[in-house]
Amino acid sequence: MHKSSSQRLPPLKRNWWLKHRFFKLYMLREATVLPLVFFTLCLLAGMVALLQGADSWQGWIAFMGSPIVLLLNLLALAASLFHAATFFVLFPRVMPLRIAGHSLPDKAIVAGQWAGVVAVALLFFWLLGRA
Amino acid sequence: MQQRDFDIVIVGGGGAGLRAAIGAAEHAKEHKTPQRIALLSKVYPMRSHTVAAEGGAAAVTSAEDSHQAHFDDTVSGGDWLVEQGVVDYFVHHAYQELVQMERWGCPWSRKDDGQVQVRRFGGMKTARTWFAADKTGFHMLHTLFQTSLKYPEIERFDEYFVLDLAVHEGAVIGVIALQVATGELTLLRAKAVILATGGAGRLFRFNTNAGIVTGDGMAMAYRHGVALRDMEFVQYHPTGLPGSGILITEACRGEGGILLNKDGYRYLQDYGLGPETPLGKPENKYMELGPRDKLSQAFWQEQQAGRTGKFGDSDVVYLDLRHLGEKYILERLPFICELAKSYINVDPVKEPIPIRPAVHYTMGGIETDPLCETSIAGLYAAGECASVGLHGANRLGSNSLTELLVFGRLAGEQASKRAAQTEWADTRLLEAQAERQQATLARLCDGEGSGESWVELKHAMVQAMESGCGIYRTEEGMRHSLETMRQLRERYAKIRVNDTSKIFNTELLECIELGYGLDIAEASCLGALERRESRGAHQRLDEGMQKRDDVNYLKHSQVFYQGEAPAELRWQDVDVRFSAPAERAYGDAGKGGKV
Amino acid sequence: MSTEQITTKSVSTNNTSIKHISVKRYLPDSSAEAYWQQYEMPVDDSTSLLDALNHIKEQLDSTLSYRWSCRMAICGSCGVMVNGIPKLGCKTFLRDYEGEIRIEPLSHFPVQRDLVVDMEIFLEHLAAVKPYLIDDNPVKPYDPKAPETYQQTPEQLARYKQFANCINCGLCYSACPQFGLNPEFLGPAALTLAHRYNLDSRDHGKKQRMTELNRHEGVWSCTFVGFCSQVCPKHVDPAAAVNQGKVEAAKHTLIALFKG
Repeated sequence: MHKSSSQRLPPLKRNWWLKHRFFKLYMLREATVLPLVFFTLCLLAGMVALLQGADSWQGWIAFMGSPIVLLLNLLALAASLFHAATFFVLFPRVMPLRIAGHSLPDKAIVAGQWAGVVAVALLFFWLLGRA
Repeated sequence: MQQRDFDIVIVGGGGAGLRAAIGAAEHAKEHKTPQRIALLSKVYPMRSHTVAAEGGAAAVTSAEDSHQAHFDDTVSGGDWLVEQGVVDYFVHHAYQELVQMERWGCPWSRKDDGQVQVRRFGGMKTARTWFAADKTGFHMLHTLFQTSLKYPEIERFDEYFVLDLAVHEGAVIGVIALQVATGELTLLRAKAVILATGGAGRLFRFNTNAGIVTGDGMAMAYRHGVALRDMEFVQYHPTGLPGSGILITEACRGEGGILLNKDGYRYLQDYGLGPETPLGKPENKYMELGPRDKLSQAFWQEQQAGRTGKFGDSDVVYLDLRHLGEKYILERLPFICELAKSYINVDPVKEPIPIRPAVHYTMGGIETDPLCETSIAGLYAAGECASVGLHGANRLGSNSLTELLVFGRLAGEQASKRAAQTEWADTRLLEAQAERQQATLARLCDGEGSGESWVELKHAMVQAMESGCGIYRTEEGMRHSLETMRQLRERYAKIRVNDTSKIFNTELLECIELGYGLDIAEASCLGALERRESRGAHQRLDEGMQKRDDVNYLKHSQVFYQGEAPAELRWQDVDVRFSAPAERAYGDAGKGGKV
Repeated sequence: MSTEQITTKSVSTNNTSIKHISVKRYLPDSSAEAYWQQYEMPVDDSTSLLDALNHIKEQLDSTLSYRWSCRMAICGSCGVMVNGIPKLGCKTFLRDYEGEIRIEPLSHFPVQRDLVVDMEIFLEHLAAVKPYLIDDNPVKPYDPKAPETYQQTPEQLARYKQFANCINCGLCYSACPQFGLNPEFLGPAALTLAHRYNLDSRDHGKKQRMTELNRHEGVWSCTFVGFCSQVCPKHVDPAAAVNQGKVEAAKHTLIALFKG
């Protein structure tokens, strides 16, 4: 085929995502990573505190109990659930599962993923209860 | 002005044009004669009207079927006005072409065992229509387009509008085209040219065709002296959506859909297509599976008798699919559901679809010999724009998609053969012709014309074609239409385009298309008026002309362009070497007969 | 067959009203700047945006340029932005719009004139992914004298059928911010078409296509915004195809790694 040197437009401006509701929602989904980063840093700090000794550990516990940190971590929980919800819906489109030549309905795959979340959570609480 | 040289230039990027391009490329490769092929289209190839074909493509496939049966169906379907040698070639090459499409990736619908599925179609004795759901043309066109990308020797000129053929001493030497994006003229010198520009359904007001189906190639060949043959035969598809004319495929009936008048009665049994077949058990060549001309004519009769319903302003009958069940309808006819829901807010699963006949296909066209060559040496035509002699007075559904493959390939191979033995003509000959084109364009854009609007002329044309050359025709109506075309041609010489821009000037293109249309509309009216009989899609109400007349009219009409003077008509013998004309019968009346 | 009177509800053609449509005009040979022009016209419940544009062209202003052809949502010519969202003109009905209707050319493509954009880059991306059946050593080569099809079960067909329904209208490119940010990104339709052939049981060209797909401007530029699938008029779901392509590309990389 004949290839022409086709024209190119200048790339979009940085604020492209502000122009449309759909894009804002997408950016919100992407932004869920921010509170999760905070939560991960908290965990990391906790491990360091544990290594440093009892005083440090008590300091970390107090820090985690402060209202603002609690609020931020609640936000992280909500964000991760929101991200999970959107991701679970996308999953069957990216990895359509087939059993014996028939594709599994999307709803079943989504339900399966939530069941997995509940199972892991229960396992975690059970372990926590034994400790 | 850009000037380029090619061995073969193909005008039109639909199914026939693409198949011709690939056919030529393969032929050149096989014979080790490298050739450059230009494929021009006024739109991107995948926009071509092949894309809108829905039902399927016919070829003898099952063990119970035979070439003879497909031949008989096509010949009687065309009311014996077909070239029987051509039909014979066609039925023998249909299957290999559909298999070739399959090998190129066309997603044909399948049976459980992995074999290609076939469905019933109107006027065909057995199920022999290959299909890809109800988007067969779409899948074929995209498969062909995508396959054509494999061939570096095919150079595409997308959105190039061809203005004229360059002809010198009875041979074609190239084409003159307008690059739509820039308005620049382009000269393409060629050793062979293939026209694959499609039909002329847009001559009529109410039609199933895309806006681009304006008969450009027909007019170009016609203006250079090639005969337009059998132009009076225009197919009304019995099932178009009211208002828009959007096509509702014949496959609906092939799958078991039924036609009802406003009283819920299957009226086709009153028109020689009965007896009534049981619901959900369609039978070939009975009732809803009769040929298109008969079904459209039955609609007209019901309308006259006041037994049609109303949808908006349109008289309609009803296509009922409900008994097929939701699952089957959605599997076999998904596009129909989408169209009916979007355009008339009717869900075929729950309601009958209101439908009415709409102009669908131009049986006639550029006269070619059985090898697709016209009376101009090196000029070939294939697909709907051509009259190779396959369809006669009425085309059978699903023969045209196969036609564009069989004859597209043949035209491509023939062009390649010729190009290998021919030299380019002198460039100056093309330049002289291009200068004349430039003058014509200049006159349209800034001439001293009356400034009359092309819109008015176009509306007058489509109105006159519909009223004079409809499903049933009268002497008076056709005479009036012919007169109208002649007057409109005179007025056309004085129109002027408002838009003088060079860049993507679609008004200019519409004006040029209108000029093409008026010329071939005159040919169509003249053929209709002079054919004093009723045959296939040409039905007259005039006394003594309501029957087929093989003594006087078992002949092709040929219309020749005469410049500003009225066109001239001649008659040409028909090739009836295998099958003598017999009565054309369907339903029980067709049982036991030769057909 | 029962003989009862058939009545169907009708799309009203007498529910007429006057609507205003604003069209972004661009006439490069008279002005370098685009501008808005408003048109007023009578519409009814059946009037599509394409009908409206044709009305403008024939009755109000013959200089307006736009592409159209089939007017039944299968040729893919008439994509435009309607109030900022990419749509097919022939499948957009004015009855669905209250208030102002603003029509612009498709986003992310260079504008040639009025509503006509330059689609060349789209076609280049399409051609780049080898969108045709590749089977270099078929078990049985095609022979016109003894033609034979491949076998393909309905299940095998179903795996790629949806992705074969793309009409190349380009709406997904106008919906894709990644294509807007980087026009070298192959984009939703081209990647979907590649995936369609990769999923075809008759095809053996996946490896050849991977060199195009498995690079930054291939599948990896997609961040799964997903708007492409929302605007697709044929429900092809290009976002799904592209992201399935990522899984395939990752597998391809891993396999290449182990094979050394």
